[in-house]
Amino acid sequence: MIAGIDLGTTNSLIGVYESGFPTLLADSEGRRLIPSVVFYPENGTPVVGSEGLRMQALHPERSVSSVKRLIGRRFGEEETKKLNGPTGTHVTLPINGQNLTPEQVSAEILKKLKAVAEERLGTAVDRAVITVPAYFNDAQRAATRRAGELAGFVVDRILSEPTAAALAYGLDRLQENSKVAVYDFGGGTFDLSILRLDNGVFQVLSTHGDTSLGGDDLDEAIAGLLLRDARITTLTPEMKVRLKEASRAAKELLSNEESTIVRLPFMEGSKSLEIPLARAQIESACEPIIARTRAHCLRALEDAGLKAEELDQIILVGGSTRMPLVQRLAAEIFGKQPNLSQHPDEAVALGAVLQGAILEGSLQNVALLDVTPLSLGIETFGGLMNVIIPRNTTIPAKAGEMFTNAVAGQSGMKIIVLQGERELAGDNWSLGSFEILFPPSPKGTARVGVQFSIDADGILQVLARDTATGSEKIVEIQSAVEVSDEAVEAMLSGSLEHAFEDMDARIFTEARLKAEEMLPAVKAALEQIGSELPESEILEIRERSSEVQAALESKETVRLKQALAALDNATQTLATRLLEKAMG
Amino acid sequence: MDPFVLLGLSRRPLLSDEEIGSAYRKLAGESHPDQSGGDAGRFRELGEAAAILHDPARRLRQLSGSSSGSLLPPEAAQLFPRIATILQQADNLIEKQVATSNPLAKALLLAPLKNLSADLDSTLNQLQEWRILLDQELAEIDVRWPEHDPNPISLLADSYAYANRWESQLRERRLAMESLSG
Repeated sequence: MIAGIDLGTTNSLIGVYESGFPTLLADSEGRRLIPSVVFYPENGTPVVGSEGLRMQALHPERSVSSVKRLIGRRFGEEETKKLNGPTGTHVTLPINGQNLTPEQVSAEILKKLKAVAEERLGTAVDRAVITVPAYFNDAQRAATRRAGELAGFVVDRILSEPTAAALAYGLDRLQENSKVAVYDFGGGTFDLSILRLDNGVFQVLSTHGDTSLGGDDLDEAIAGLLLRDARITTLTPEMKVRLKEASRAAKELLSNEESTIVRLPFMEGSKSLEIPLARAQIESACEPIIARTRAHCLRALEDAGLKAEELDQIILVGGSTRMPLVQRLAAEIFGKQPNLSQHPDEAVALGAVLQGAILEGSLQNVALLDVTPLSLGIETFGGLMNVIIPRNTTIPAKAGEMFTNAVAGQSGMKIIVLQGERELAGDNWSLGSFEILFPPSPKGTARVGVQFSIDADGILQVLARDTATGSEKIVEIQSAVEVSDEAVEAMLSGSLEHAFEDMDARIFTEARLKAEEMLPAVKAALEQIGSELPESEILEIRERSSEVQAALESKETVRLKQALAALDNATQTLATRLLEKAMG
Repeated sequence: MDPFVLLGLSRRPLLSDEEIGSAYRKLAGESHPDQSGGDAGRFRELGEAAAILHDPARRLRQLSGSSSGSLLPPEAAQLFPRIATILQQADNLIEKQVATSNPLAKALLLAPLKNLSADLDSTLNQLQEWRILLDQELAEIDVRWPEHDPNPISLLADSYAYANRWESQLRERRLAMESLSG
């Protein structure tokens, strides 16, 4: 039996295919949604699920939530900015004096799901299909696979979430021939996939997304709203957890109600908070975040070679799509009402179960043709990315490259493997590097064939082929950790005092750059439309500009920051007028 | 192996995306390695065959047996300067807009971005008009098929290759500009 698992940022689910139907399994208390929170007691086994969620409020320092946003990541990436660690090395989390990897934490969640399923079914469950966001890269997919193995599963497939959701949607429409978009907005990630459904074949045409864009970000925006009114002096980790929980609860409530009052008793000492919150308020705070999904939708349409009006259905899945604002924006982007027939929390898990059934052979005449979300390439001599397998290629896929020696007697060549869409090699994600060895020979005569293959999990494997014997050998890719000496030294020697000096210098530099950008912009804007502004406003802008100039010369950080803020403020109308003028 | 034969399609210049896609999905669905009796090698070959046939330039070269020509098609030579200029302007402006964090400076860039966007659209229209002519030529060749003269076919293949590449480059910039202003 192959279980299907949705390993989510916020919640996870497990299910199996039973007597011809996909079924999701509930824990002893009847809950199918298992919170993806792990609490590590000082002694004893980790606690996962709703119990873990409860413990997190009491011991945030020994709890991990939203670990999916860290899996397969390295220190120094945007997503890990709140964590400290040597840039370029794999992320670890310090818990109870141990450094845990995100895979280990995810494995605890998976073990819990395994236990839930085994208890319900009374048999061992040791094979699984695990879903990941479609836009997960090689490292994130491979790390998820390792987490499954750590939990004691044979991982039969790593499956993209929107593809899984499309399978759940299409199962009772197998005779149809249609084009659908799956708009999957979950707790921590966003994906948009476009599929062609054709008589039981589910062909993914394109996919695009952001693995750092989800309901978590909406909760944070709402927490910011609450904090603005709360007048809290210091925010402890416990308070942060409570605030985030309250924000999430308010967000969920305001999907159905127009207003609510957020109550946080004894938030700081004896101080309790009661903050009224209206749907319109959270919508204006969340709108810029949700609007970021638009670019991914347009990109996926472009890559599929389709126009929005050619799509038959826009299927919404993922918990965040319960928000009315998300539904409105999706409708606006695609110009039609979205399809809400799928259960936002359960569709992906059901799809994972169905893929398990396909692999077992118990579900026939259904095939998934998925794609790789990111282009795979190698770094060329000039530091550019040479694409070998373009994004949206159907997987499994293979491509070969022939390498030869550029000079006589060259013993080998280092190949850096990249994933991403940017032209410059350095802007892409480096999967690592490997070395190919040449036999001693004159220039251009040594030839080694290398085959890049992306398996059905979306994970890369590299094979080197000896052209003489035809034998193939798996090439081990060395992880791309390259920590600069400077960075290490700075970390070791940086006393607190130095850190503050550095900080001040950095803030001044940032402010200086901003001033250098701002002053000419103000001048140009005044030249363009200054005549349309009242004299008093121009005078004020001029004064504020001179103050910025003076602050810049004084080299006082605080003064410069204040002067810039004042100028920003004074030029707001000017900026709005320019915008209006440009928009016609 | 011949992509037409592999997908069970007739060897002719005019094939719709729908015909190719539908044949591909049927056969690829059966040979996907997840299916019992699936065949990873055949599955991959089908994917490559469909990619060749979906691209009119590669499809025509497959039929004429010629590789890409050495002559720039006259329409392409005429369009090239305009397209090169506009691509460069777009890259400059997009780079500027991305590098700016200041709302006032961003607002200042909006008017030039809007002008460029209009230029992009009219160039894209021009390309699309050219493509309509190419499609007509393709249809005429298809009517006379299999009787044909290899030279015009090779030139048509090259024209399609330029039209496709430029269109995708221009659309790429427009998408980048849309996500900047939206």
